[in-house]
Amino acid sequence: MDWADLIGRVASGGDREAFKRLFEHFAPRIKGLMLKAGCNAEEAEEIAQSTMIAVWRKAHQFDPATAGAAAWIFTIARNLRIDLFRRRMRADRLETGLELPDAPDQAEPADILISRGQDAARIASAIQQLSAEQSLVVRLSFIEERPHPEIARALGIPLGTVKSRIRLAMNRLRDILDEEA
Amino acid sequence: MTISHHPPEDLLADFAAGKLEEAHQLVVGVHVAGCPRCTRFVQAIEQLAGAALEDVAPVPIATDAFDRVMSRIHEAPKEAVAPALASDTDDDVPPALRKYRIGKRRRVAPGLSLRPIELSGQGQARAFLLRSAPGSRMLEHTHTGTELTLVLEGSFSHEGGHFGPGDFDYGDDEVEHRPIVGNEGPCLCLVAMTGDLRMNGFLGRLIGPFVRL
Ligand SMILES: [Zn+2]
Repeated sequence: MDWADLIGRVASGGDREAFKRLFEHFAPRIKGLMLKAGCNAEEAEEIAQSTMIAVWRKAHQFDPATAGAAAWIFTIARNLRIDLFRRRMRADRLETGLELPDAPDQAEPADILISRGQDAARIASAIQQLSAEQSLVVRLSFIEERPHPEIARALGIPLGTVKSRIRLAMNRLRDILDEEA
Repeated sequence: MTISHHPPEDLLADFAAGKLEEAHQLVVGVHVAGCPRCTRFVQAIEQLAGAALEDVAPVPIATDAFDRVMSRIHEAPKEAVAPALASDTDDDVPPALRKYRIGKRRRVAPGLSLRPIELSGQGQARAFLLRSAPGSRMLEHTHTGTELTLVLEGSFSHEGGHFGPGDFDYGDDEVEHRPIVGNEGPCLCLVAMTGDLRMNGFLGRLIGPFVRL
């Protein structure tokens, strides 16, 4: 399925069918990833729904030349999660509501906008040069936020090996990206 | 602007995953926004996260979720709470920080002043803008926590090297340093700090109680 194409159809014509297919694919996966990253079920559901609303509203900003559809959707969900956690902190103090705004653009004071370069091909090739086990530890540690001892158990390797493998993977990624400059 | 000191890779990966506490997210984010090299690294982690999103086991969502999303889309967007903006004429405040509410300048020691940045209250770290006079020699100090420093203007040097605009310095409780500010002008830094600053030596003990960093 060409997700980028579907996002383009949402952007140009508000195509509801295209959006529904994006929703059916991504919403349950956003919820799954957010649960793995430590959200409770209610938070994960709210982030999944708000992310899809932002996908509809920001579809015209998506540039298939610089980001894959899944990576773009991840960054939206990540920013909403940061925002939700800050709101929860404020709500604890001020007893305000928890629902996320539907226009996350204006409500992301913490989100430093990173200018998207034209390095997509170079970044993709760097990632492909990581070994499968290197990208797996990066994913488990940083994206699914699993503690190192749990990763050690899951992969059946010593704790020290987890730490050194993560470090090696990070250094290698930096080296490959720098080399191709 | 040539940047020669960057955040460590694991800090960048945590930034990309949205795991850092607010003060750290801010300082790393301002560095990354001005550093093409770190932007590439962050984008690479985002690509890995996109792959993880494609691979993760889907979890059933609420049965009425699609309808609720469509009706929220067709409502007028809720007014987002507009954060108080720092004044545009405020030459201390870099564009990346214009969305934050920034406190009044406070003198903390001779030649040293800071402006606190208001955060949501999440996390242990505080963020502030630190301005030090040209040529000043900061007191030798150690930390009980971590200190993330981004140079915005001017420069400083310590045992770890020379730090100019865009450079990122990472210190923890194993670091004991004594920065010297460059002579070219005042040095303005964006700092995130946990724990306390411990001033060493006689003068440090003397003024320590007044240095409320
Ligand atoms: Zn950098």
